[in-house]
Amino acid sequence: MKGPSSKDSLDISVANYEDVILARQKARELMQSMGFSLLAQTRMVTAVSELARNMVVHAGRGQMSVNSVEKLNQKGIECIFQDKGPGIQNIDQALRQGFSTSNSLGLGLGGAKKLCAEFDIQTTVGKGTRVTIREWKTR
Amino acid sequence: MNNIQSNAARILQNNKAEILDQWHQQLILNTKSLVESIGLNVMKQRTEEFLDTLIDALTQDDDFEGDSYDNARNLMTDISRQMTLSSLTPSEVTLFVFSLRDIIFPLFQTNMDAGQLAAHYSLVNSLIDRLGVFTFTVYQESREELMREQQQAFMEVSVPVVRIWDRIIMIPLVGMLDSSRTQQMMETMLTALEDYQSKVAIMDISGIPVVDTLVARHLITAASAARLMGAECIITGIRARISQTLVQLGVDLSGFITRTTLADGLQLALKMTDQKIG
Repeated sequence: MKGPSSKDSLDISVANYEDVILARQKARELMQSMGFSLLAQTRMVTAVSELARNMVVHAGRGQMSVNSVEKLNQKGIECIFQDKGPGIQNIDQALRQGFSTSNSLGLGLGGAKKLCAEFDIQTTVGKGTRVTIREWKTR
Repeated sequence: MNNIQSNAARILQNNKAEILDQWHQQLILNTKSLVESIGLNVMKQRTEEFLDTLIDALTQDDDFEGDSYDNARNLMTDISRQMTLSSLTPSEVTLFVFSLRDIIFPLFQTNMDAGQLAAHYSLVNSLIDRLGVFTFTVYQESREELMREQQQAFMEVSVPVVRIWDRIIMIPLVGMLDSSRTQQMMETMLTALEDYQSKVAIMDISGIPVVDTLVARHLITAASAARLMGAECIITGIRARISQTLVQLGVDLSGFITRTTLADGLQLALKMTDQKIG
């Protein structure tokens, strides 16, 4: 999938819960500077929190990149989460409400999908997972 | 190798008084803050200990990682810790070690012929470098220790439980709610419920920047535990954007009493315990 062209880009390596906070802050900073509404910020940052923590919990560590992107006349933010973890066996099951392999609520991945405008997940068992989320500025 | 080491050790031993004297002068001249903060006597004692250990280490045929350098490393740890505690920078501590080089090298020059010089230089050079670099390791370790202690101290103050009215307690939650903090919050809350014979616990989440599924799970756990003790939990501080986010995430808080503001929560708590202010 070819993404829209990106301008600013920032990579963060996420290996523990403190890094998750940092990841959230970076996403929030960029959204603030782009003038996203507080509601959009909260939604996106919550999704970032879920996905970044998923990398720590399931893969041990991973990379997040935050980019500002553009399509047609719209500006947006894109976050890519890439890990080299065990991958997801059954994506439909993983996205379902209440399904969890880690004794959590089982709402994070599916919730993140509902929280942002675009959600794309690619995973290979044994190789890793890549999740891309985007949010566009409404005007 | 052995020969060079013992030769170097001999030269240092024979000129000990002179080396110390020069070293002191240099330290007083160049690193004034160091001498001021640890005091002249301590400095003299430290330099002598250091030189002794260096000579001792040189007489052993071993490399820096070996056992015979244990004394040198221990002393270095001791010295850097002391200096760090006197709020010296790691560069100043390192300078303390490096300044010795300027004194030893001229001494070698006068005490041996040119053919031997290079080997002696490189030996003492690498030894002093390693000791100097080692001070950085110690500095970092002591900083990390300090950070751990502060974190611990922060943990203890971070979950206060306030008894705001008869039979009503409040827990203002601030910052990140991770597992260990939740555990602590639960313990403090449940103990307070018992101690104060409280019937209502208000958990205020206004100070939590991101309410995601992990935070939600912790809140649900804490509220369920309180309920087991016959107390009701009121979760306050659920603002518009948090409410929307939680619904989209699919978090079900319908079994719990929630309010937007702490004031609303308090009003409700008073009603639940049949009390009135004033």
